[in-house]
Amino acid sequence: MSFFLVVKAELVRTFIIMRRYWFRTLTGLVLSYAMLAALIIGFVARQDTIGPSLAQRFTDADKATNWALGFIIGIYAFGVVGMFSQRLQTMAQNGQLEQLCMSPHGLVTNFLAQSVVSAVSSILSSAVLIWLIAKTFGGALHADFTPTVIVLALTFADLIGFGFMVGGLVLLFKQVGQVVVIVRFVLFLLAFSAEKVTQDLPVVIRWIAHALPVTDAAICIKYVLVQGQTMEGTYVSVFTRPSFFLLIINSTVWTLVGISCFRVMEDWSRSKGTLGAY
Amino acid sequence: MNREYVVELERVTKTFRTWHFLYKDEDTQKRSLYYRRTVTAANRISFGVARGEIFGLLGPNGAGKTTTVKMISGLIRPDAGRVYVDGLHVESKRLQVLKRVGVVLEGTRTSIWPLTPLENLMYYGNLKNVRGKVLRTRARELLDFIGLKDKMHIQTRKLSRGEKQKLAICIALVADPPVLLLDEPTTGLDVQSSRNIRDKILDVTSGQGKSALVTTHDMHVAQELCDRIGIINKGELVACKRTEELLNLFSDQSFEFHVDRLPVVSEFADIPGVRNVTPLLKDGDEPVLVVQVDSDRALRSEALYGMVARLKQRGYVLHSFNERQQSLENVFLHVTSGAGQGQKRNVGN
Repeated sequence: MSFFLVVKAELVRTFIIMRRYWFRTLTGLVLSYAMLAALIIGFVARQDTIGPSLAQRFTDADKATNWALGFIIGIYAFGVVGMFSQRLQTMAQNGQLEQLCMSPHGLVTNFLAQSVVSAVSSILSSAVLIWLIAKTFGGALHADFTPTVIVLALTFADLIGFGFMVGGLVLLFKQVGQVVVIVRFVLFLLAFSAEKVTQDLPVVIRWIAHALPVTDAAICIKYVLVQGQTMEGTYVSVFTRPSFFLLIINSTVWTLVGISCFRVMEDWSRSKGTLGAY
Repeated sequence: MNREYVVELERVTKTFRTWHFLYKDEDTQKRSLYYRRTVTAANRISFGVARGEIFGLLGPNGAGKTTTVKMISGLIRPDAGRVYVDGLHVESKRLQVLKRVGVVLEGTRTSIWPLTPLENLMYYGNLKNVRGKVLRTRARELLDFIGLKDKMHIQTRKLSRGEKQKLAICIALVADPPVLLLDEPTTGLDVQSSRNIRDKILDVTSGQGKSALVTTHDMHVAQELCDRIGIINKGELVACKRTEELLNLFSDQSFEFHVDRLPVVSEFADIPGVRNVTPLLKDGDEPVLVVQVDSDRALRSEALYGMVARLKQRGYVLHSFNERQQSLENVFLHVTSGAGQGQKRNVGN
């Protein structure tokens, strides 16, 4: 119950700020749309110079939607990990982290609630963005409720677990936040080209990519929403695909490792007195 | 553990170690691969805060005041010793302890600036497990009590520093905790705001029966606000007494004789009970004779009669005389300087 109370508090806070700073909220959405649209238009317009395979992606509406979805998943991964690194650093600097630590719910519950709320607002704005892109460039998403929800929930667990691990490290070693920027970009790129990476790269890199939280999540989401769970015209459920099993393993491992790591680091940072320091 | 205390520290020690790589000493210009620095923020500190009491923790910058507050609120774990709040051990029952303390930390942005004071209280109330109608009523009552009722719907970023500090106190009080920990609550505030905050702290403790631990380096705040005072210096509690006792303990039993001209010291040195005589010009031009007398009552009486008689005998006009008031500032300087070290044994709990 206490978790839902914190989720409610975070939801109210987030939506008050989104509403109060409506211009910023709106321009954020418009800018994301404009960036994505400009990239797609740019690729389409330069088909002759970028080579047939890449240009092919954007002449095909489904491919464009696939690409846009990768961009959005990437942005989401970028945001979640950023919440546990840059935002945590800022909270440590201005004292809000210490306030959260002094909540009787505990720091893990508070951060979990913040992540849920961040995911909700992110999914809502992403849905609007995808709809706009699909309307502009054609193509459509397959709405299959159950697999979409299950895959999104696993993706959330996967990213949150990873985020908690990063957050734990940032609690203790604040400078880690700068290194995490690189990791965030890697996740962003993987979300774009997950399928390609897992097919073309050397075995070692391929397995590293699979171990990172976003790769199999992106493959599964795209498979459900873009391909409609069909392979060469035949329906193959996402639940039978290897990526789905890897996603389950990944999300379980990252959640357990992440939260354990966060708890240990929180405890350690209390000993070292680094909660309110940057 | 002493049942009479709502907050109690037992021989609490905390040392911070920091490592600096590729270190360059600014004084000697000497470079080293790494440099380890150790700072003892608390060295076997023991004291207690009774129910309904305001306890002041006084000390210079870097003395260990904030570390002590953070150890009580569970933000920092002590290396040794135990901290109890309301009979609960902070380390083993931390989440339960957090329901019993409200904390205002110095120099932090406790409140969320884009939200209004009312929204802030609703948010932090939920984080502190208060909900529904109870929270709504309590939030409005607190804003009314602290004097922010008219500004409850204005964004916090638009409030003055003093108002933000008031809001921070409301946030600390939103869960109605029995213990309030206030770290430098009046630092950086103007006289009016500082006075206002002090009054509210007094209202909270005397009116609502809460206990408060206030850290400060402002002597006036401590002297006016606190029932008992602990003086902390370089991580050591060098004094801990009731405020009046502390003032009396370091009172040098001096009297000021306001006369018409600057007296000659040698004329008074032989009076029984007089230990020291210092002539000075007070406020620029008023001649004053500061006479330190023996602490023994009989000798003190003899010294005062002797002084009055001698002044009359030597032809001085005595305008008035009074006992010299000891200020907490003098006590503080006395205790934190070398002079206090010898008396340290006598000023403990």
